[in-house]
Amino acid sequence: MRRGRLGPVLAALAVTLAACGSSTGTTTTTGSTIVFGAAVSSTGAQSLEGKLTKQGYDLWLDWINQRGGIVINNVKHPVQIKYEDDQSNANLSATLVQKLITDEKANFILGPYGSAATATDAIIAEKNGIPMVEANGAAQAIFNKGYKYTFGVLSPANKYLTGVLDMAATLSPKPTTIAMLSANDNFSLEVAKAVEDYAPSVGMRIVFSKPYPAAAPDVSSLISQAKQANPDIVMNSGHLAEAIAINKAAKQLGLNAKIFAYSVGPSTPDFISALGADANYVIDGSQWTPQVKYTPSFYLSVADYVKAYKQKYNSTDPPDYHVAESTAACLAFQKAIENAASLDATKVRDALASLDVMTFFGQIKFDSRGINTFKPMVVEQIQSGTHYTVFPANVANGSPKYPAPAWSSR
Amino acid sequence: MSQFTQQVILGLLLGGVYVAVALGFSLVWGILNIVNLAHGALVMVGSYITWDLFTRLHIDPFLSLPVDATMLFVIGYALQRGVINRLIRAPLLFTFLLTFGINLVIVSLLLLIFTANVRSVTPSYSGSGLLLGSIVIPYIRLGGLVVAMALAGILWLILNRTRTGAAILAVGADRDAAQLVGVDLRHTYALTFAIGAAFAGVAGGIISTFQSITPTAGDPYTLQAFAVVILGGLGRVSATVAGGLAFGLIEVLGQSAPGLGSGYANAIAFVVLVVVLVVRPRGLLGRLA
Repeated sequence: MRRGRLGPVLAALAVTLAACGSSTGTTTTTGSTIVFGAAVSSTGAQSLEGKLTKQGYDLWLDWINQRGGIVINNVKHPVQIKYEDDQSNANLSATLVQKLITDEKANFILGPYGSAATATDAIIAEKNGIPMVEANGAAQAIFNKGYKYTFGVLSPANKYLTGVLDMAATLSPKPTTIAMLSANDNFSLEVAKAVEDYAPSVGMRIVFSKPYPAAAPDVSSLISQAKQANPDIVMNSGHLAEAIAINKAAKQLGLNAKIFAYSVGPSTPDFISALGADANYVIDGSQWTPQVKYTPSFYLSVADYVKAYKQKYNSTDPPDYHVAESTAACLAFQKAIENAASLDATKVRDALASLDVMTFFGQIKFDSRGINTFKPMVVEQIQSGTHYTVFPANVANGSPKYPAPAWSSR
Repeated sequence: MSQFTQQVILGLLLGGVYVAVALGFSLVWGILNIVNLAHGALVMVGSYITWDLFTRLHIDPFLSLPVDATMLFVIGYALQRGVINRLIRAPLLFTFLLTFGINLVIVSLLLLIFTANVRSVTPSYSGSGLLLGSIVIPYIRLGGLVVAMALAGILWLILNRTRTGAAILAVGADRDAAQLVGVDLRHTYALTFAIGAAFAGVAGGIISTFQSITPTAGDPYTLQAFAVVILGGLGRVSATVAGGLAFGLIEVLGQSAPGLGSGYANAIAFVVLVVVLVVRPRGLLGRLA
């Protein structure tokens, strides 16, 4: 290993070359393997989202190892990700993260799926002084506890549906009444609360608001009650399964709103395949869409990312935002490790805290709590079975179709 | 008032689903003394058969119900004859563990075959319904209730009007005495479990039309079936029907009560359950203690 005065210069050169996509760097030495640990659900209620999370991590893993690994002081360190299955159980997730740190000697932790598991894993990361970058827990409750070692690359929960309200305020005739349905988990309630707080500022009011238990067996009673309030906008803050059930019940019971907007679900291909034409006109707030126009400073462009995903997973569908945000968590780690030029947990933590990079996923920069409040949410709509990004206008590739026609005339 | 009527109707429609789910569970519990923890998984197998036939061959979900029933009858017969029969005289805990294991195996197989993707069956008529003033009764949910009642009728006929039914009831009452009078025990056990599985399959077919299905989505239905049987009581078809409809009504009315969120629906339903257990331990219409 060369450790002369030229070291930092060469390291900077190597980073620059890597950023330019050059395949022949000046570094040839191979260093110790960097081990990332991740407790991701591959069974249980969140096995689908867990799979998407893992896909996002693995996409970056392939890319970085093709380049020989993460470069620290001219030395390429190959990367390994060790997975454990948390079985969609938040408490088990924490146990597994501890196991990853003590038994599997993980240098760093990549987050699990979901706010509940992220909240318990954050405690373990903090206790062990091991940085965790997470991509799938947007509840601000995670970040209001003063943790120093947990960072989230995604926009916080309170922004999930407020973008939809911003968009709705631009439409004519302007919708003014909202029925807000929400699953009763922390994340969903936070999204719903933000909508209720934000609505008056854009001249709208909540006419119906009720939480329901997650994975509710039947939502028709809820929908029937919402119908009584005759809302312009029906919003759901919950998960994919509930979004499908709510859309079905709205049709079955003839709840006709001008806008149907669901926090999580419509962005996945499953939503369209399960509902067919009934999925049209549905709107959702998304962390990312394959159509966004960001100019990244390293890693892949948005178009190349979509291509790489389709190739690796032999898919005709583009990656949904769960995949993209998970990849973004890896990118944050990569840049922070490079900036820290060290594998020391504390130095990498400090580098994460001061990180500010532009990626295909958008800007990654953490506020003092460790969450990425600098990236906006985008709004997308399903039109004739295809996703279009419809808001904000500067990243959009379509315009919102409004109002949604009555179910009987579709 | 019309809103109240609407909620009552929705409660009965949901209750119909619970009846369909609980009939087979109740039969297996009452006759074989097995609390079948794999029941929800069998329900999901039915859902996936309906979904598969709908997506691939565009077969109407209601027309695929006999297919669900037949395939699950075969699976149920094989499971009981090949696996569960070996432990049938063991203490309850052993069959508990066994069916828990079977549940895991079925869920994993479904994950392997169908992946964890969320599916649902959405036929073209899913939005149409009977309009009575401001009250809506979706046809597809009404169909579910009708099928559930038909299942209850069929089960009653089998148990009370056929020799096979008499054999099943005899085994439930006293297996040794039944064997003495010439009932083929192993066959009857398997037949009972097969009927239970077939009914679970039909329930799954109905569920796929209004819920989203995943390999793990069956677990709550095992719990619901358990609650329905406790509420209604063991040993009678009418008890399961009463328990299912009552449980659906309690859940829906609980969540639509003013000032109460849906979050309380389960709490209310299970409080009622505890009260029933304390006041009337054999259930609303149960025959056995």
